[in-house]
Amino acid sequence: MAPRSGTCIVVGASSGIGLAIARRLALEGRKVALLARREGELRAMAAAIDDALGRQAAFPYPHDAADLDAAEPLFARIEQELGPVDELHYVAGVMPAVALDEFDLAKDRLQVQVNMLGCIAWGNAAARRFLARKGGCIVGVSSVAQDRGRIGRPVYNASKAGMDTYLEALRNRLWRHGVQVTTIRPGFVETPMTAGLPLRGAIAADAAAERILRARDRRRAIAYVPGKWRLILFAIRNIPSFVFRRLSI
Amino acid sequence: MTTSDGLAWRDEDVRGFGMAIGGPARVLRPTDAEQIAAAFAAVRAQGGSIALRGAGCSYGDAATSKGGHVVDLSAMNRILDFDPATGTATVEPGVTVRDLWRRSIAYGFWPRVVSGTMAVTMGGAAAMNIHGKNNYALGSFGECVESFELLTPRGDLVHCTRESDPELFHAAISGFGMLGCFTRLTVRTKRVHSGRLRVWGIVARDLAHNLQLLEDLRGKADYLVSWLDLHGTGVALGRGLMHRADQLQPGEDPPGVCWFDPAMQDVPTTLLGVVPKGWLWPGMWTAVHLRQVALVNWLKFQAGHREERQSPYLQSHGAFHFLLDYVPRWQWMTRPGGLIQFQPFVPFQHGERVLRTLIERCQAAGQVPYLGVLKRHRPDPFLMTHAVDGYSLAMDFAVGAGRRRREALWRLCQELADVVLDAGGRFYYAKDAVLLQSSFARVHGDEAVARFRAQKAKWDPDRLLQTDLSRRLGV
Repeated sequence: MAPRSGTCIVVGASSGIGLAIARRLALEGRKVALLARREGELRAMAAAIDDALGRQAAFPYPHDAADLDAAEPLFARIEQELGPVDELHYVAGVMPAVALDEFDLAKDRLQVQVNMLGCIAWGNAAARRFLARKGGCIVGVSSVAQDRGRIGRPVYNASKAGMDTYLEALRNRLWRHGVQVTTIRPGFVETPMTAGLPLRGAIAADAAAERILRARDRRRAIAYVPGKWRLILFAIRNIPSFVFRRLSI
Repeated sequence: MTTSDGLAWRDEDVRGFGMAIGGPARVLRPTDAEQIAAAFAAVRAQGGSIALRGAGCSYGDAATSKGGHVVDLSAMNRILDFDPATGTATVEPGVTVRDLWRRSIAYGFWPRVVSGTMAVTMGGAAAMNIHGKNNYALGSFGECVESFELLTPRGDLVHCTRESDPELFHAAISGFGMLGCFTRLTVRTKRVHSGRLRVWGIVARDLAHNLQLLEDLRGKADYLVSWLDLHGTGVALGRGLMHRADQLQPGEDPPGVCWFDPAMQDVPTTLLGVVPKGWLWPGMWTAVHLRQVALVNWLKFQAGHREERQSPYLQSHGAFHFLLDYVPRWQWMTRPGGLIQFQPFVPFQHGERVLRTLIERCQAAGQVPYLGVLKRHRPDPFLMTHAVDGYSLAMDFAVGAGRRRREALWRLCQELADVVLDAGGRFYYAKDAVLLQSSFARVHGDEAVARFRAQKAKWDPDRLLQTDLSRRLGV
């Protein structure tokens, strides 16, 4: 595989897996555009990365992933300011707490916008350019939650499933043009999004980022992070519906 | 359980970290300042007293009150504000050292002063004015506090800075919870340029070598701490393993950027990735009760030579600082008697003589501490400070189950305290269990004690705030 040298974009870079990926990309020697909502935090995190590396590698771009129309012009601006982009990581995600008897359209809409439509907006912007250039890499961080619809978070499951299917279609469309699309399905990872949840055996966000970039290097189509989740989800996917509906998982 | 005063007091056994001291108390865990004020008013009306408690990390009786009321602040644990540009945090008193660095490390900030465990709360850290392995360089915890809000026993909320009321500022910090309850604190953190430190293990042949290393390195190193094998005798008396750690400069450790992930700073919870460390204490208990502590210390000292050969190495801030968190519930190895810690602070000029005397007396009495930790200190401006321009030697004693053995240990420590006080030394109340009422003025001097008592009379004239410690010392 040819060594990558272009600019990277990480959408959802102010915490958790996105921030850990951004750090590791910067460590690889790349220019990294960090995108997230909170400007003050984002700038401080980018400054900390530059400080540790002793050179400017992290470039903060305040952006709300739910602002779908902003993706295309911001992509163009980043390329103009930092040079051609050859790698996109879409890691933005929201998972609000939802009660079992709660059906709240505002929460649901936000999840669809950030988890699915945001990925589509940034995926399209990248795909258009990468297709023309016959190269590039798109990594989308989906979730093990996309494999089944569960009682706890229906729209989180649905939005991640939508994102996952979009990424698969993008992969099938683009592979013949030399563009790589990798779908990541993380299991339990210790991030601010999962803070307070009883996740036994959760891995560090940095450990997840290391595995994600390894999956990218191996040109994997779909990678469970860590790998044991492939087996767990194989089992869960094959539980018959009449049993699954009686479970609390 | 809600009682007649409308507050949810619970009857619990409240002990110091060492488990050797404490007893039944009525405990309240407030979630806001109003509840603390209500507890103050209710207990004052009954003519009772209240002890303030954070995470309960004080080894002795600083946060216990046998038969009294205890207000446990661990549920007031919100970080109210964190400025990612400056690293300044405004926190509730129950926020722990761990909570703070988990918030700050992604921005390249680390608490300026941390203890050997990350469980300590900010309120407790300020009340006891804790120190870390960099006390000789950056001073005590109080020196990184910019301001605080103190709820006084009369129910007033006082906002205090160094400038607004210097006397209260310097007495409440270090005042072991005697003047009021911190309800919020603003603390500074420091910039770090990597998630790791450069660490050296240095074998120290004896006490003099240990002290010489501290003097040689304290102008250069960011952190210094020495583990001592107190079973060493003769030419090996006071031998140990010094750890020096230096912060890294920008660009010096690029891979260290990955350690800005908070989860990378936690100490590992398993041994060799498999054995849960929570299972280790029974093995340690066996070593203590089969009297194999000397052997364990000797093995650790010998392992130090290997570490010295492999130095320097890179280690996360968390792994370097929080040695006490490596083995959960390690203090259970001293069950059923528990443990006490005795940590004298000895002025520089008397350091070697006094520390040698202390170690020799322990050995002669057959009560050798299973752990000794030597650090370098400098004075600080707080009224009830323990710091001196000199050294401290923390000595952990397992308390035997029998009454006679326990009394002999207390007598020994009181004799040792006399040696220290005669040399102008001091003590640290987070670690103390044995000082007598007559020692209080000797530790701080008559003037400081008079000033502290004046502050106590001003803010807590009803003497609502009391602990087993304050009663023991006759504060």
